[in-house]
Amino acid sequence: MTTFNVKINGRGYGPTEVRDELTMNDYLREYLGLTGTKISCGAAQCLSCAVIVDNPDGTSYTSPTCIVAAVRFNGKSIRTVEGHARNGELSVLQKAFIEHFAFQCGYCTAGFLNEAQVLLERLAKKRVPRADLEKTIAEALDGHLCRCTGYIKYHEAVRDVILADPQRYLV
Amino acid sequence: MLAELHAGVLLGVAALLATMISAQAVSDVPAESLARADSFAAIGDTAARSAALFTEAAKVLTHPRCMNCHPAGDRPRQGDVRGLHQPPVDRGEDGFGLPALRCPICHQQANFDPGRVPGDPAWHLAPREMGWEGKTVGQICAQIKDPARNGGRSLDDIVHHIGTDHLVGWAWAPGAGRQSAPGTQAQEGALLDEWVKTGAACPN
Repeated sequence: MTTFNVKINGRGYGPTEVRDELTMNDYLREYLGLTGTKISCGAAQCLSCAVIVDNPDGTSYTSPTCIVAAVRFNGKSIRTVEGHARNGELSVLQKAFIEHFAFQCGYCTAGFLNEAQVLLERLAKKRVPRADLEKTIAEALDGHLCRCTGYIKYHEAVRDVILADPQRYLV
Repeated sequence: MLAELHAGVLLGVAALLATMISAQAVSDVPAESLARADSFAAIGDTAARSAALFTEAAKVLTHPRCMNCHPAGDRPRQGDVRGLHQPPVDRGEDGFGLPALRCPICHQQANFDPGRVPGDPAWHLAPREMGWEGKTVGQICAQIKDPARNGGRSLDDIVHHIGTDHLVGWAWAPGAGRQSAPGTQAQEGALLDEWVKTGAACPN
């Protein structure tokens, strides 16, 4: 058993004593009831379980939760799909996903949303040429599996969000 | 008819159990042994002894624990059967993966057996020029001696790297479901040390 602390969507949790074998996915879903983070393959192959991890330097990245121990997140700050909307209003990305009918069953959506959010934050810090945008989006979303809508709608939704604010994201 | 059906079901269950048991057995196979460096002393010809030492050391270099992350291309392999890594990942610019799928995100500081994920603080791919996949032991030997293809290392550096590096050492503590590299890291280092002292000859 190990005691750990974690910040999730701006709120601190812990100290909590958990089994060393407990995955972060089980902690989120079974301990906290944050079921927006999905569990699918259980082997980090579909990334539906991905959450955002915020680094102290302001950068962010996504991490699968199904194969990583909860205690490995000790002291970290993460965001889940439940943390995107503000005061009941969906984020720009969430709205774009809906407008593009990007998801059908929705099981992969939280992972795609988190990955796309990290991409936006990365581009806001380091813009890319317009010519590299398609490749940049494709590489960012690579690894996330969707069995319903065929990826292109997610891609188009993310592209629209970026093109709507070119000075922020593009060179 | 019913008895035949029951027999069929029982046979099916037995076959499934046998498969599960044998699969478990595969992951529990003891590691292959490695000959001690001094056991080659009887080979009188120095060059032949040196080549024999490297051939023995190559049991480790060509083992899935090492070869999986010294691939010929940009995608690592995984498991004892050396399947392509899932999810599909790419070495990226620095060997630590692409920006959206960095190696240390899944591969943490240590093995996490409940998720069957290996770990080490420096988990990453060997540089492309150090790819061993598909090469003969002789070719790997020539490559490992070439500073242009060994990370600019001297032969002593190679002995030190393979004999003491923490990530290399993971090959002997690979976690559940993976066969350990042959012998021990110290034995491997001793073999390569003796190989260098005998002229670092390569097998044909």
